Amino acid sequence: MALFLLRRLTLLAVALSGTSLLVFLLLRLLPGDVAAIIGGVEATPEQLATLRARLGTDRPLPAQYASWAGGVLAGDFGHSMLNGVSVTDELGRKLVVTLPLTLAASVLAVLLAVPLGCYAALRHRSRDGAAVSAVGQLGIAVPSFWLGIMLAALFAVELRLLPAQGFPVDGWAEPAAAARSLILPVATLALAQSAVLLRFVRSATLEVLHADYMRTARAKGRTLASALLRHGLRNAAPPVISVLGVQIASLVVGAVVIEQTFTLPGVGKMLLADVGNRDLVKVQGTVLLLSGFVLVLGAAVDVVHRLVDPRLRAAT
Amino acid sequence: MRRRTTTTLVLAALLATAGCGGSGTPAPATSAAPAAGGTDPNATVNVRLVLEPTSLDLTKVAGAALDQILLDNIYEGLVRRTDDGKVAPGLAGLPEVSGDGLTYTFTLHKATFHDGSPVTAADVEDSFEKVIADDSANPAKATFASVKDVEAEGDSTVVVHLSKRDTTFLYALTGRAGVVFKKGATGLDDSENGTGPFRLHDWQRGSTITFVRHDAYWGAEKAKVAKIVFRYIPDENAALNALRAGEIDVFTGTDADQLAAIEDDPAFTVTSGTSNTIFVLGFNNERLKDASVRHALRQAVDKDGLLATLGGEQLYARTGSHVAPTDPWAEDLTSIDPYDKEAAKKVLNGRSLELTVPNIYPASISDYLAAQYREAGVDLKVNTVEFAVWLDKVYTKGEYDLSLVAHVEPLTILKYAQPGYYWRYDGEDVQTWTREAITARSEAERDGLLKKVARKISEDAAVDWLGIARSTTVARRGFTGFPKNDTAARLNLSGLTAAAG
Repeated sequence: MALFLLRRLTLLAVALSGTSLLVFLLLRLLPGDVAAIIGGVEATPEQLATLRARLGTDRPLPAQYASWAGGVLAGDFGHSMLNGVSVTDELGRKLVVTLPLTLAASVLAVLLAVPLGCYAALRHRSRDGAAVSAVGQLGIAVPSFWLGIMLAALFAVELRLLPAQGFPVDGWAEPAAAARSLILPVATLALAQSAVLLRFVRSATLEVLHADYMRTARAKGRTLASALLRHGLRNAAPPVISVLGVQIASLVVGAVVIEQTFTLPGVGKMLLADVGNRDLVKVQGTVLLLSGFVLVLGAAVDVVHRLVDPRLRAAT
Repeated sequence: MRRRTTTTLVLAALLATAGCGGSGTPAPATSAAPAAGGTDPNATVNVRLVLEPTSLDLTKVAGAALDQILLDNIYEGLVRRTDDGKVAPGLAGLPEVSGDGLTYTFTLHKATFHDGSPVTAADVEDSFEKVIADDSANPAKATFASVKDVEAEGDSTVVVHLSKRDTTFLYALTGRAGVVFKKGATGLDDSENGTGPFRLHDWQRGSTITFVRHDAYWGAEKAKVAKIVFRYIPDENAALNALRAGEIDVFTGTDADQLAAIEDDPAFTVTSGTSNTIFVLGFNNERLKDASVRHALRQAVDKDGLLATLGGEQLYARTGSHVAPTDPWAEDLTSIDPYDKEAAKKVLNGRSLELTVPNIYPASISDYLAAQYREAGVDLKVNTVEFAVWLDKVYTKGEYDLSLVAHVEPLTILKYAQPGYYWRYDGEDVQTWTREAITARSEAERDGLLKKVARKISEDAAVDWLGIARSTTVARRGFTGFPKNDTAARLNLSGLTAAAG
């Protein structure tokens, strides 16, 4: 076990350094110069040179990387080149918007997709089953920003039930207002995601429907629905969970669009703006923190697996 | 020049659509009309803007988005600019100018910073010296190019010496170079200690900036509303939803679709002012040396048709050079290089050119240009890029054939005298007249020279000017006193009122 831990930690360290280097280099491939953004169109070449020297962007890349990585090792993920805000502070402020948004959307998507997918599978030969599938297809085809705009037009403009955009100025200090402002974004994101998920649930369920154990369960007198609930779902679950995992990762991408559409001050909107401003230090710090979180989580899951599953332990 | 840049150029894309101007602080010179049924001094007003600042530090970070909200509202200079573009007293009265035009003497009013401390001549001296210092990174440093030194005499007199006459100096003082900061002020990225009628309350990056009234404001007129929330909504559809859902009281950056959607709604009033936002189809004069080619490039585009597709007269006007209708040297030059497809085709047929355009402008403009040039036999490749890329490739390095950006800053006409500017236009007469205009002895002399410059750059087809945006603002009924002109450049809200009830 100690050996495994050591190996796993080494792997984690390698992955994190690789990620940091990759993020750093990819951002340097982007054309554009943060000094020009800061100095603007009136700045003289001498002023831009002064700015680059202050920001350190005139140094060779290895030196820039070394000083950034050194800071990260010391726990300093860097500061915005434009306004000096700390990457960790700012990410914390954005996650309180993005995490509730994506988590709630994922839960809602599962709650929608699983029953509907099962239903579509069970009734796949009838019209209503086909209708559910068709609506699901439509959901995949509709761009989420359009859906968001339409939902806002209905629930905010026509019915005046919910805000059309924005987040309370005081954030979660106004819990009711904050929650209300997330309803439409969550619904939009969840609808878009559940449409994808629904297809997987349906096809996974269809596959199980014809499995031997289902026939056996039916032979023992269970109805199709109860056999599906009792035996089918848990067998259909693994592929759906894999897809859900990938989907949750892609939620961050979806959040960029939704946060933009609903003007939510979240991680996605921030990253988009920072890349546009070539605030490279802030972008690389943010991306490293986010991907580091995923990598650490993966490692932790591995370790926990080993602890709970003796077969895996023996295999080492 | 669009977005995040500031000053002279533009950034403005968004802005382009937005826009109005600022007016004065102590005595609002705007269109403010008192609301009939009494006003609500405790009102909160939600203002939709497009482009969010990247920092709140005017001394460090460029961007029209900073000037737009910070000047006049939070920060002030010795003099200010009214909504119709005149220079008026600010923290000081209008200066006494020596006969040779080289010495400006200002007498400060009894003004205070937001922390209660008095504004002294030493603060002015310190602020201006930082702008002109050798290692100054102030984005507006160039506007103080003629300033030789600044001296505080006692607590309330400031003397500025120029190295040469400068007819643009007073104007520069109304911009960000002229802002007076408290000596030793720090933390300007996200806090302030200005002198204006509003204080910064909160900045929720990515969403809102909130100002509150400074009740101890030194000027005669306090702000007329308690709180202003600037809501940065880049998406046009989302912005329209927000307006119609009642989340926005004052709406800038209006486009044609939005205008059509609310035009007949009695809940809103639309005001239309002038702006300095000019859409420039830039020619790289180094690559397009042949003047007949540049003339043909101008003639190939039917600007009336283009402006009609963008929303017509309510949102845009024609301009035949880099002049705004409010410029004293303005004259109608639209008859130079009129639309003539056949004439253009004779010169241009068979050419391939690339147009580099930042992605903040409506694609309908570049689509229209591509179609027009196709008719003139030109294969136009449209290269849509991020603003940062435009700034690097086009503005800094000059690697382009044609470029499209909106220039928002007044006095951009002076740039045509800089052969190193991204158009790479090198006109000897223009350079001489511009130099003379800057050092002119009177405004009349200056305006006469700039009139010649405006005509000459059009006759030389230095670039093409597709149109000038109007500053169109939509306000919910009951909200008045909003500046009309050039709101993309500055948005003086000291006169904004909300009706009671």
